[in-house]
Amino acid sequence: MINRLYVNIAGIELASPLVLASGIMGLSASSLERVAELGAGAVTAKSCGLEERKGHACPAILPFGFGLLNAVGLANPGVDDMIEELRTFRLQSEVPVIASIFGKTIAEFPDVATRIAEALPSMIEVNVSCPNVASEFGRPFAADPSLVGEITRRVRERVTDIPISIKLSLQCLSLAEVAKACADNGADAITAINSVGPGMIIDPNVRRPVLANRMGGLSGPAILPLAVRAVWEIAETVSLPIIGTGGVETAEDVIQMVLAGASAVGVGTAVYTRGLEVFSSINSDLHVFMQERGISSLSDIKGAAHV
Amino acid sequence: MSEYMQTYQVKRVLSHNPGLKSFRFDRVIEAEPGQFVLAWLPGVDEKPFALSGVFEHEIEITIKAVGPFTNQFMNVQAGDWVGLRGPFGNGFQPIEGMVLVGGGIGNAPLRYLAQRLREERLAFRWVIGVKTAEDLAFRDELESMPECMIISEDGSIGKKGRAVDVLAAMHDNEPIIVLAASGPEAMLLSVHGFANTFSPDIPVQLSFERYMKCAVGLCGQCCLDGTGLRICVEGPVLSGHQLQGVTEWGRPHRGPSGRRPK
Repeated sequence: MINRLYVNIAGIELASPLVLASGIMGLSASSLERVAELGAGAVTAKSCGLEERKGHACPAILPFGFGLLNAVGLANPGVDDMIEELRTFRLQSEVPVIASIFGKTIAEFPDVATRIAEALPSMIEVNVSCPNVASEFGRPFAADPSLVGEITRRVRERVTDIPISIKLSLQCLSLAEVAKACADNGADAITAINSVGPGMIIDPNVRRPVLANRMGGLSGPAILPLAVRAVWEIAETVSLPIIGTGGVETAEDVIQMVLAGASAVGVGTAVYTRGLEVFSSINSDLHVFMQERGISSLSDIKGAAHV
Repeated sequence: MSEYMQTYQVKRVLSHNPGLKSFRFDRVIEAEPGQFVLAWLPGVDEKPFALSGVFEHEIEITIKAVGPFTNQFMNVQAGDWVGLRGPFGNGFQPIEGMVLVGGGIGNAPLRYLAQRLREERLAFRWVIGVKTAEDLAFRDELESMPECMIISEDGSIGKKGRAVDVLAAMHDNEPIIVLAASGPEAMLLSVHGFANTFSPDIPVQLSFERYMKCAVGLCGQCCLDGTGLRICVEGPVLSGHQLQGVTEWGRPHRGPSGRRPK
């Protein structure tokens, strides 16, 4: 039997287009392995920086009926511990693992990338777009094509043998320009999009924002149309493979992303809305969808909505 | 009440001692014993607490001051607003012939379990372990319950000793059908060890605790090494079967950064 779900992104072979998005269950080898066993084609670890970070106080993750608002604030154990987790994962699982990195400054990105490369992840995702650390780090780098270009170039100079994907945000004037900066500076792929906003929820009784960080990135089904549009726009501009991420919950959502131009598809908040079964459930629905329509590979319909 | 944040006024505070209090809220929820809620002190933080009672018109959590957040909570008074969401996770399943084993503040969720066992007219016994008399909440209520045996490490209340030590004698007296335990992890593992000395082993329901940020299975903070089970979703109450393969017993827990102290 052929595996219709097989995809290739930047040379990495995935048994399913579903990629566990960064920030979801990505702190430890064991939880990543559990998600891998449940049907993810690849898993992305939580973003890590040079040093340990506790992140924001709680509430940090807030379901509100139309998705989630989150401001975890790049909590992570630091790159040394993350290297250990990724190595442990690789010993236990054949499923490709994507490391995710961030830097407080542009100069930190190549340093973290060089370190995390020691764990030999299948790909390094460069998170230039966390929306929840503005009070500390300033506006996300993803807002400025020249900064994204510089980060991409400096990471590329130091990491030559592992594919890098740049994770982008809607918080910018022109996604096309940012995507072009990624392509021009040696990125192998683009992950789009990070959570949207930021947004805010205020409690009517205590009269203050509920998130400890006051505001946080919006994710979940409400942002799917935004993510589909973002993938479309990027695909119009550059030929890099795209991991389309944002609000995907069903096989039809995956198809939308692929038709917009995605090669693989991130799944994050759906782990909350549909449970961990979401991976196997989308995989089997996707298989049926493709079989019924005679689609033998997702690459056959990639970008097909661009008419 | 749901997974969405909502604030409620504290209806009343029961002070067991200055560092051990119960807080009641005017809420009606469906919750299993052992399930937990997240309690938010605006401007401070948000932490998980098991329910210590669910009544006709009220719910109750019982908090011991052990750190900055719980110390702040001791200042909360009737009329103050507290954010609550939940209930989350899987709780205890009441069973005839159950023996409850509690350690310290871990006895709080067992009080709700005992309430449910009585309501369902299921026979049970409850070993209440505390370090010292001061650690015992609901003392009058529990001392008058025929099902309870109170044990303290310093002998200041009840028999002197540790809760786990009396299980063998209890089992000889009347076979233990299932064990439900809540308390320090070392105690839980001792209870599990005791249950495993029998063939077939005595089924266990053990309530574990981990640092968590979301309670809905996303942040990954509470995933157990070895199996990846999430304390907030698959737990906090785990069966003996779910303990198999876990490799982190006896090691320090992951903190807010996700780092496990070496």
